[in-house]
Amino acid sequence: MERFAKRGVALIAAGLAGSLVLAGCSGQDLEGGSDKAAEGQVTLKVNFWGDMGLDKLKAAYEKDHPNVKIVLNSGEYNAQHEDLQKKLVAGSGAPDISAVDEGFIVQFRGQSDKFVNLLDKGAASYESKYLPWKWQQSMSTDKKTQIGLGTDVGGLAMCYRSDLFKKAGLPTDRESVSKLWATWDDFIATGQKYTKATGKKFVDSGTNMFNPVLAQQPQGFYDESEQLQMEGGPKVAFDVAMKTIDAGLSANLASFQPNWDQGFKKDQFAVLACPAWMLGHIQDTAPDQKGKWDIATIPGGGGNWGGSWWTIPKQGKNADEAYKFVEWMVQPAQQIEVFKTVGNLPSQPALYKDPAVLDYKKEFMSNAPTGQIFASTAEGLKPQYLGKKNGPTRVAVENVITRVQQGSLKSNAAWPEAVKAAQKAATS
Amino acid sequence: MTATAPRLKPRRRAEIGRAPQDTGGNWRTYIALVAVLALSAFPLYWMFVIATSTDEAVAQIPPSVVPGGEFVNNLREVFTLQQVYFAASLINSFIVAFVVTASTLFFCSLAGFAFAKLRFPGRDKLMIVVILTLTVPNQLGIVALYILMGKLGWNGTLLSVIAPFLVSAFGVFYMRQFIMHAVPDELIESARMDGALTMRVYWSIVLPAIRPALAVLGLLTFVATWNEFQWPLIQLNGTEFPTSMVALSDLASGNYVIYRRVLAGAFAATVPLLVLLVLGGRQIVRGIMEGAVKS
Amino acid sequence: MSLTRSAPPTANPEPAHRRAAESAPKQRNWLHRFDNKRVPYLLISPFFLLFAIFGLFPIVFNGIVALRNWRLDDPTLTGWAGLANFEKLIHDEAFWNALGNTFGIFILATVPQLLIALMVANLLNRKLRGNTWWRVGVLLPYVTPVAASTLVFAVFFSRDNGMANWLLSLVGFGQDAPLDWRAYKWSSWIAIATMVNWKWIGYNALLYLSAMQSIPKDVYEAAAVDGAGPWRQLWRITVPMIQPVLIFTVVLSTIGGLQLFNEPMLFEENPAAASGGSNGQWQTIAQLIYKVGWKDLNLGYAAAMSWALFVIILIVAALNALATNRLGGGRR
Repeated sequence: MERFAKRGVALIAAGLAGSLVLAGCSGQDLEGGSDKAAEGQVTLKVNFWGDMGLDKLKAAYEKDHPNVKIVLNSGEYNAQHEDLQKKLVAGSGAPDISAVDEGFIVQFRGQSDKFVNLLDKGAASYESKYLPWKWQQSMSTDKKTQIGLGTDVGGLAMCYRSDLFKKAGLPTDRESVSKLWATWDDFIATGQKYTKATGKKFVDSGTNMFNPVLAQQPQGFYDESEQLQMEGGPKVAFDVAMKTIDAGLSANLASFQPNWDQGFKKDQFAVLACPAWMLGHIQDTAPDQKGKWDIATIPGGGGNWGGSWWTIPKQGKNADEAYKFVEWMVQPAQQIEVFKTVGNLPSQPALYKDPAVLDYKKEFMSNAPTGQIFASTAEGLKPQYLGKKNGPTRVAVENVITRVQQGSLKSNAAWPEAVKAAQKAATS
Repeated sequence: MTATAPRLKPRRRAEIGRAPQDTGGNWRTYIALVAVLALSAFPLYWMFVIATSTDEAVAQIPPSVVPGGEFVNNLREVFTLQQVYFAASLINSFIVAFVVTASTLFFCSLAGFAFAKLRFPGRDKLMIVVILTLTVPNQLGIVALYILMGKLGWNGTLLSVIAPFLVSAFGVFYMRQFIMHAVPDELIESARMDGALTMRVYWSIVLPAIRPALAVLGLLTFVATWNEFQWPLIQLNGTEFPTSMVALSDLASGNYVIYRRVLAGAFAATVPLLVLLVLGGRQIVRGIMEGAVKS
Repeated sequence: MSLTRSAPPTANPEPAHRRAAESAPKQRNWLHRFDNKRVPYLLISPFFLLFAIFGLFPIVFNGIVALRNWRLDDPTLTGWAGLANFEKLIHDEAFWNALGNTFGIFILATVPQLLIALMVANLLNRKLRGNTWWRVGVLLPYVTPVAASTLVFAVFFSRDNGMANWLLSLVGFGQDAPLDWRAYKWSSWIAIATMVNWKWIGYNALLYLSAMQSIPKDVYEAAAVDGAGPWRQLWRITVPMIQPVLIFTVVLSTIGGLQLFNEPMLFEENPAAASGGSNGQWQTIAQLIYKVGWKDLNLGYAAAMSWALFVIILIVAALNALATNRLGGGRR
């Protein structure tokens, strides 16, 4: 005991000396980390979520630019946006480059003074290359500042497990499956057949019905004067979600959570609404289901769910290098590379005609011509206005859907709750 | 279980009137204790089981209760996950816990010494203030503390999670109690007679005498600091300088949360404290028990 | 750092003098006067200084923040808000919901915790072989980082493939529809209370044990006249005798329990959400403060909530101490 005590004190003393030095250093690092730029060495921190296919790009870019080190920081979708907001206000700590999703872009373009105006860096020449609405969505209201360059759009399709469909006695090829569900009601009817035949659930969750259906509506949660409009699009989407749950088709898994990932592996659902970016998630989560997935058209026709921009927060000290990297990432070659690795559909229409996209067949998805499928959905898109509070509002309504799935709220009593939750989110 | 006293057997009768601490444990005591220990250890054990398993083993029913062979693999995944900064987070936790512990020991033993052995106007009143601060919940100032750190420019740095914990009222209190009993007045007085100044007395007489207490307080502080979660989360979430607890919560909230990976991380962040418990368990037990009697 | 340099204790102490330092002749130079009059304050000043900056100031400042508009997402919206934040609080369903949850979980976590701790202490309060190791053993949960253990429990209580549901299915519950622990108030409260209980039982047991061991042994001998068995001994003698520590632990658990944050936070399937379930089933006040302050970015309102929480803790701690006092007093 005595001996231990002595050793303990010695240890602590030594540790104190050492760690004070270390703490001093790391404190300094925070203040002066970018001083390294003076020596020509630049570190670019890139924040995003999920898998945006950047691993290969990073390696390639670092190889060509030995003075640039890229740190990829993939976090949780909502958390990344909230964190960006916090750091913008705090005035420090934001990454050099941050992805911003469609659901949050209005919120951030309202703070365009906190972002590098990409027009100043020569981005104007890209305007003609982008889908017009994609370019406009990330413009400040006075049209003087462009805060982001578009990465992808989330044209919608419906992924399905052809192996499970076969077991249920349903058709398995793309065309026939697409014909099964011209409307969402047809889709639910198909689900009932599947569930009856197999005893298994059809879709992963009600929220993944709600989101794509909402994306197809002319109006989302908010109108252009930022007024909450629940009785329009949201009501339609919510009803479809409720019908699906009431029909017993939902496996009630919370998307992007561990149980959802396990649900993939345990065949707990047979279809999944697929914006182009979802393909990457499927193949990352269930790599051994290669060839078991296929892609059909989505009921209700088209729609866009998600899609992002690369933005450069002003507080970063390497804006020039950051812009160079962003500019490089949105070049056709890189866009095609990302499309091939994870499936994200470029937002520059010229690429939809590019043979590399048009003729591409995704091996993982049973060689589905993903380029053709998604490009055709993207071109006819009419963008939806997404309000400043779109993010939190969506989360609030999703929570109500989750309550119905959990059984703690009756589906016929859910709509007023959803409206209440949305109103609260709108004013918080 | 109710307190019905059954007809007493003769052997039990002999035990009546004897203080429990003089009564030997019978087999029932030991069985109950083993059960208590098993329940205490089970979550840790199961953490290890999942940390060593494959995805399939984690999802299987009935759950597997023997460790698998994937520990190194899972651990490697945790450490190579770029956005979580796990290795750095362990180092950060060590830095924070060390600085806080050392500072607590130093400042609290100084103050404890003054309160226990020195005479100065206002001493007792100030001691009451110290005791009162013990009861202030740390939630109370959390928002203002965040704003303060922002003004200091410390938000998002390790300093922000070190500074608020540099001293503790409990530490002062504990040191005072210990020094009062462990350091004889005569020793101090005779040193004074020889002309020793206060700091000399502290270095030469008090410090050597309170080593056991320093060990106890040091261990308790280290454990508490290592495990601190809410404040580091507020400060360090999303930075490149998380503590291991923040890195853990990060590991559990990404888009690809994998239980075996999360719990491999959890296990790695727990091991240092398990080592401390094995090395310094006695001291920790003593610290908690002494703290109790005196308050 | 010379912390380790230990000079030998001054050799051969003189016979004790009365307060030598004070009656020392005036010839001592100013250094000694300074040493006597000022140094004690210097020694305690680091504590008070650091506490003033990082403890006291934030509390006072928090009061000011609570009375202002202070939003992180809209820095232009500043100025005095008067009592607006508190008014909002009173009408905020989320606050009352969180308050209810906090109390519900607090009771589910505290009562069993202290009762079981008492029993464990009673077990440990015997002549045991290897008694140190038993004591160290019950501290395992105490040293386990709460973030780590909560993540284990989160897996333990998961709906599909969770061990809790598997155990339930063994005794015939939920075979066709597994219980979704996170769906309902009662089940999520039980899950969280389990985590809290697990963590703190051993710690409290040691507190009780230490008090039990300082009970004079003759008290038990005197009680032999009643023919009290071990159980009666525990309730009739031991418990009343350790009443101060009981009160202490009740107050401690109150302060801790009403600030519960880590467990509800990490019990969430997606801990970044901080919403305490799809409908705030288990959102505690501390968690709500975090959400309001650092996710909704409304610091002024979060500050007001902190104040409300503080007042509630004060009231409950006082009531608790009072009640425990009565109870213990009545037993004696």
